[in-house]
Amino acid sequence: MGNTHSVKLKVNGVMQSLQAGTVQDVIAHFGLTGKPVIVEADGVILTPEQWADTTVSSGMVIELVHFVGGG
Amino acid sequence: MRDDALRIGGRSLSSRFFIGTGLFPNPFVQKEAIKASGAEVLTFAIRRINLDAVEDDSILQHIEDDAFQYLPNTSGASTAEEAVRIARLARASGLSDWIKVEISADAKTLLPDPIETLRATEMLVKEGFTVLPYISDDPVICRRLEEAGAAAIMPGAAPIGTGLGILNPYNLGLIVEEAGVPVIVDAGLGTASDVTKAMELGVDGVLMNTPVAKAKDPVMMAAAMKHAIEAGRLAYLSGRIARKKYASASSGLEQFILK
Repeated sequence: MGNTHSVKLKVNGVMQSLQAGTVQDVIAHFGLTGKPVIVEADGVILTPEQWADTTVSSGMVIELVHFVGGG
Repeated sequence: MRDDALRIGGRSLSSRFFIGTGLFPNPFVQKEAIKASGAEVLTFAIRRINLDAVEDDSILQHIEDDAFQYLPNTSGASTAEEAVRIARLARASGLSDWIKVEISADAKTLLPDPIETLRATEMLVKEGFTVLPYISDDPVICRRLEEAGAAAIMPGAAPIGTGLGILNPYNLGLIVEEAGVPVIVDAGLGTASDVTKAMELGVDGVLMNTPVAKAKDPVMMAAAMKHAIEAGRLAYLSGRIARKKYASASSGLEQFILK
């Protein structure tokens, strides 16, 4: 983790207070590093390469989604 | 036998079985059922990760073979815009640019909203997706979806998860007759005879989830469905006899011994 600070983010519909500087930190915070995660930040889909370069700030809306069983 | 591969979106498939990955009793049974089905196309849904239980695995952790073609769906969407958003998220996985457009009009029937489905298909085709819309068994909307650039059309046999079988064989037959893209019957099938009947109508494949996953023995039912697809396909290609009102003997009576 690089420069983290306390932020309030809406993640998957729930307000969360956490220490994070980038989207990568948010992924790590929830124990999702290395898992197949798809990230949308403020309506923009991020590639995994963009996670570490995308800074987060309070008020951001983040969606962490994945594939589940379905027909 | 001649080459009878199914071609969709530039991909050649030797199996005409598209299998869903929901509702299985556990990952082991699911994996064995997929193996028994011989399916090459697997469907998935896109959902939020449960952040309170991230150890609940992503479905992908149970499916190793990357020879599969992934077909994520847009289930949960009720508008074209929602479906497009889900499709973009699915494509961002890097696993597939195929998308099953599934836009339900209401929770009771889960019947597809034809207007929104057509709009979503138009938008997603423009964005370069390989679009397979789930739609009602209406020949006119199926034609419109094909004109919009759908790679295949997927009419339902009956509402999702009902197992009622083919409610309107006339419509399905007409859809097959008119379609210039593959027709995959999606939803509503219950058992092997439903599947054989669909294939005998000339459809190019079937997509099933509930009738396999919720069978008492999902692995055995997956095998039954696989054989049903093959039997129906061969019967369709062979050309069945015409129906007659009265009997016709298999051996003539010209040389009968008592004549």
